[in-house]
Amino acid sequence: MWYGFAGKLLRVNLTSGEFKVEELDKNELRKYMGCVGYAARLLYQEMPGGIDPLAPEAKVVLATGAVTGTLCPSGGSYEVCYKSPLTGTWNQARSGGAFGPKLKYAGFDFVVIEGKAEEPVYVYIHDGEVEIKPAKHLWGLNVEETTDALIRELDDPEISVAAIGQAGENGVLYAALINDRGRAAGRGGIGAVFGSKNLKAVVVNGRGGIKVARPKEFAEAVEKAEQWLKNYPFGSIPSLGTVGLVSLNNSLGILPTKNFQTAHFEKADQISGELLNRKYQIKRRACYGCSFACGRYTSVGSGKFATPPMEGPEYETVDMLGPICGVADLEAIIRGNYLCNVYGLDTISTGMSIAFAMECYEKGLLTDRDTEGMPLRWGDGEVMVKLVEKIAHREGIGALLAQGVKRMAEQLGPAAEEAAIHVKGLELPAHEPRSESKVLAVQYAVSPRGGCHMHPNWASTWDFGQLDCGMKEFGIPWPPTGMQDESPQKGVVYRYVALQGEISEILGACIFYSWGTEGSCITPQLYAEIVSALTGWDVTAAELMTAAERSWNLKRCFNAREGFTRKDDKLPGRFAQAIPDGPSAGARVENLDAMLDAYYEAMGWDRQTGLPAPEKLRELGLEFAIN
Amino acid sequence: MSKVLVVDPSLCTGCHRCEMWCSLTKYGEINPSRSNVYVIRREPAVDVPVVCMQCGLCIDVCPTGALKRDGATDAVVVDENICTGCGTCVKVCPYGVLRVDEETEVAAKCDLCSGSPACVNHCPHGALRYEDAGKAAARRREIWAMAHGVRIR
Ligand code: SF4
Ligand code: SF4
Ligand code: SF4
Repeated sequence: MWYGFAGKLLRVNLTSGEFKVEELDKNELRKYMGCVGYAARLLYQEMPGGIDPLAPEAKVVLATGAVTGTLCPSGGSYEVCYKSPLTGTWNQARSGGAFGPKLKYAGFDFVVIEGKAEEPVYVYIHDGEVEIKPAKHLWGLNVEETTDALIRELDDPEISVAAIGQAGENGVLYAALINDRGRAAGRGGIGAVFGSKNLKAVVVNGRGGIKVARPKEFAEAVEKAEQWLKNYPFGSIPSLGTVGLVSLNNSLGILPTKNFQTAHFEKADQISGELLNRKYQIKRRACYGCSFACGRYTSVGSGKFATPPMEGPEYETVDMLGPICGVADLEAIIRGNYLCNVYGLDTISTGMSIAFAMECYEKGLLTDRDTEGMPLRWGDGEVMVKLVEKIAHREGIGALLAQGVKRMAEQLGPAAEEAAIHVKGLELPAHEPRSESKVLAVQYAVSPRGGCHMHPNWASTWDFGQLDCGMKEFGIPWPPTGMQDESPQKGVVYRYVALQGEISEILGACIFYSWGTEGSCITPQLYAEIVSALTGWDVTAAELMTAAERSWNLKRCFNAREGFTRKDDKLPGRFAQAIPDGPSAGARVENLDAMLDAYYEAMGWDRQTGLPAPEKLRELGLEFAIN
Repeated sequence: MSKVLVVDPSLCTGCHRCEMWCSLTKYGEINPSRSNVYVIRREPAVDVPVVCMQCGLCIDVCPTGALKRDGATDAVVVDENICTGCGTCVKVCPYGVLRVDEETEVAAKCDLCSGSPACVNHCPHGALRYEDAGKAAARRREIWAMAHGVRIR
């Protein structure tokens, strides 16, 4: 009998058109807890190093965790784990909506996708049954059209569809997988991986429930979380959506602008959360099971950027299609967000690629000859929207942009390198490592999937947010030393921030709600209470921490096998230069190496190579990852 | 006057937590398809909780007399020992909020949790309320009328 989990893994081989259902081993699952932790073990053991992420041998794991689809207030997530074609590293892309919960209700915790179908197909998983169905008629359709067609075809409005659009079919290296029309497993190019496998969509639905080991105790633990979250420090986010951060971040000088040339946008009031709510919001929207409801539906009624109702745009998207490109037109941003969702594009890499092109155009590295006469000037919303279309179809200059910033810079030569804002090939998101937080600078440098602020956590919680997230009792240095401090302590702090965040990743929880202090967020201790009552396993916070550490180390080992070491843990050159103007003028990153030394040491990793030491792996029971 | 359950779809975010709490309370499991409150979440931007109105139409058609009105809450409740799972009640419910449970094989419907509805207690956005009947009636009129009004943007 399984509690909390469905207890089954589905293996779909697209080459042979066969599938297999495997029972999960309880002890093995508990060692990693589930979701990303267990997926890391699967991919490490089943996918040897050096495989082309777009080759049939590449595998993809759709993963849910213990709290996915339950009453845990943040439990709407699933993650897609794979080797990224954009970066060549481990990647995991999280998404909310209904897909994760419905996959579990359909009877599976994990789906492993292997091989390549000869012709386009989709996988339909419902109530323990699996069908691989032809999708030739869907190829070429966008995500919205695909979703609608599948709802009609399967005659079930309750299905959850995770599909790729034209961007994934065309192999855009940062194409996303979009579920429930407007929720993206965005980063790293999973859409291109689906496209390479001729896999248009995975569709799920189920009427099975999740059994609870100790229902009364579980209800009490969830009620406690509901009470605590009344004091959640970011509780104001839902009222404006994450876009509310635009005004705040701009006033603090931490709003990345013009391809990170500065961190301050004069026209921020023209793209604010307040304006979005007043003029374009239709309603607030939650992911399945989430009590936070940070999402929202927006539309533009008329004009050249007229847009049908669509979820978003979120803060990241507004900055990426807005200030990062110098664009101050909210209608263009909403339109751009819509197009990214229907074509299946990561809005962050899309915006950064456009901004990079704009900077290259400004510097004469790209000319009208390259752009078929279209000037790529900062702030031109129409050009931004046109480029999104061109990227999705790899048309004209879009084919260059579709490869992401790192490859573009390689093609455009050394003069372009300076403007290439990425780590390990992943374009940076909308947070300024120079001024927002130096722990964030460490995170950007070392994150398994490249320049990422979310997996496993938003590193700025500690020094920008002044939050311990329940980690004081585990030894997180306290009190915070200020955003600009670059002492080695920042590296030590990141160990705790990363492991605390990794707990959400291995449980299948959304990262929101794990930021706060005891009594105002879901701390590791509270997660342990919820998970214990749910699964019947008497899990402690310390056990969750160890499982998180396993997962974190395994991902590092996955990357090591692909050739990534300390030499790749670096920041774009621009961050060594001071921010030129605005409230945080003068801020820069000077001491990354010292912070990294301290981080590796705290993790028990070799300082020279930055890789987990054999003793560490042995201690964690990961002998198989020693090489 | 006793209280009744009333919904305001404009406040609903489509989180389905009410369904999960319902199934947890009734069956000790989390399973929206075993819930007696139904959230219709559709694209684009439709989130509507649908609940039993306790109208009693189902009482009249039940051939075994398994459905009765609870004296304390006025809820229509199922006597599981009498119900045969024939499904006559499912056919007549105008709101589609009564089902024959697949596991217990008897009718399942909202019984207002004996006066402390779990869905209401846990709706994070106040979209479900358990209110004084008079006030709730006024709210129902309002919501019903506005749903049929022409929207001016
Ligand atoms: S709990 Fe409330 S907000 Fe969530 S779906 Fe139910 S009625 Fe809507
Ligand atoms: S289940 Fe349907 S018919 Fe019976 S009381 Fe409720 S709304 Fe009326
Ligand atoms: S299913 Fe049960 S409650 Fe419904 S009509 Fe039949 S006997 Fe009556």
